[in-house]
Amino acid sequence: MIASTIENRDDLLSYLNAAMSLEHATIPPYLTAYYSIHSSTNSDAAHIIRVTAVEEMLHLTLVANVLNAIGGRPDLTRPGFVPSYPAYLPDGEDDFTVDLRPFTPEAVETFCKIERPGKAPTADSRLVKTPDTRTHFLVSSPTAQEMRFYSIGEFYEEIIEGLEKVAANDPGLFHGDPARQVGPEYFYSGGGEVIVVSDLESAQRALRFIAGQGEGLDSGLYDAEGELAHYYRFRQLQLGRYYQVGDHPGAPTGPPLSITWDDVYQVKASIRLADYPAGSELARVAEDFNADYGAFLALLTKAFDGEPSVLQEGVCEMFRLRDGFNRLVCNPLPGSGGLHAGPTFEIPAGTGPEPQAAPATVGTTRTVTT
Amino acid sequence: MTAPSFERFLLLSVDLTAFEETDLLGTGMAHKYLAKVRAACGDEAVTALLDAHRAARADAAGPAGNRARTPLDRDVFDRALRHRIFCDDRLGPVARNVIKLWYAGMWYALPPEWTDRYGTCTAAGTSTVTAAAYQEGLLWRAIGANPPGAKAPGYGSWSKPPRIAERYLKGASR
Repeated sequence: MIASTIENRDDLLSYLNAAMSLEHATIPPYLTAYYSIHSSTNSDAAHIIRVTAVEEMLHLTLVANVLNAIGGRPDLTRPGFVPSYPAYLPDGEDDFTVDLRPFTPEAVETFCKIERPGKAPTADSRLVKTPDTRTHFLVSSPTAQEMRFYSIGEFYEEIIEGLEKVAANDPGLFHGDPARQVGPEYFYSGGGEVIVVSDLESAQRALRFIAGQGEGLDSGLYDAEGELAHYYRFRQLQLGRYYQVGDHPGAPTGPPLSITWDDVYQVKASIRLADYPAGSELARVAEDFNADYGAFLALLTKAFDGEPSVLQEGVCEMFRLRDGFNRLVCNPLPGSGGLHAGPTFEIPAGTGPEPQAAPATVGTTRTVTT
Repeated sequence: MTAPSFERFLLLSVDLTAFEETDLLGTGMAHKYLAKVRAACGDEAVTALLDAHRAARADAAGPAGNRARTPLDRDVFDRALRHRIFCDDRLGPVARNVIKLWYAGMWYALPPEWTDRYGTCTAAGTSTVTAAAYQEGLLWRAIGANPPGAKAPGYGSWSKPPRIAERYLKGASR
């Protein structure tokens, strides 16, 4: 077997920081597709995308718990945490682009690729050389230069093995303060039960849960809890039918699901601020969204960095972001031939809240009490 | 007669509601609202309203005939809107209804004096526009709250004070 790229606690911290960035990076593409759907249409597709996006939020939280358990400090505000779209993900030897797209067949194809199980054919093919042209690669090895993983599943396999190896040499590895863990009292109704991490067993269980729920190595249609893996949920959108227990992967036999591709705001793919008319009202709304999103990431950082109860406030901010998302996608983008606006997720530097200050009061809104 | 222009309806709505164009388009309701006003009042009344609005803007743009959206002389514009639209027996009630439509997401029946004099259309009665209209009412944005029963802002958020935009505070403090 090829030598591990994880030797010590610092390597683990690098990997887990990269994993948080990876888990987050899947959320904007899912949300863009989700919010592009006209309200009260495409309910099958909207439901499938929404459930998956929420599970990615659980994955982000689980990785934060593992990171905290070994004494790391999550930071969702560091430069580069949010990738520049289009970003790149591995598909075995090849890679593919992840765009911010409206709900289209191309978007569903991308989602299938994101979630496709990918076991490397041999143990020493887990790592693949990164092509020189790829700057926004999402599963690069943080420790082995110019190498990236064969798949997201192999990336997690490396961390799971690395945890075991480092823990064997370092009995004090899991010395993180238990008060920093996000437990079920703070995270609920969100794609499964959150796992509090305190030792090797719980850390590996958390990471295996992430891999098993979606981006894992192939373990069949349904996981141990009888839940359909993400990849197959999206396959249903391509195949036009729901799976039921006993189905073969290529031929779901459940009820048909209906899709109307026209009931979608055609958000410009991987839209950038530069696509907006300079100085326009619409450009300002897009900038405000990015600033709000930056402030929200700062709030999440606070929750993951020692104050898990702040997550409650974060939930309210998520709903405000939803309203901002909807406002943008309803607006036509001038000069684009009928395409629509959408968030660009270009996070401005330094949008975090002041310590102890009310978070995310960006723009001209402020809290008033009577 | 040509159909009332969407662009002009949008500009009228910006001036009547004091919300920006992106906010109005962001509701996803703008086209449906124009259709509703046309169905309820008839194209002739809507066109007359849009013409009066254009004339009020021209009044405030000064002699050079400044066609830009801004700057307008706000005081002159305010007076022109009142003179040309709000005190007009025919256009005033329609304009007030357009404001209510945007803020409440609801078309209110025009007063009987209006329909007696200017005729009634098939869609003149009080009615919602679509199921989404209530949620998209500008009223909720203006008071910094979610529409009760919709656009839930998360568990426990009801314990937080509303977040009212600066421009509505008119100098009031916390």
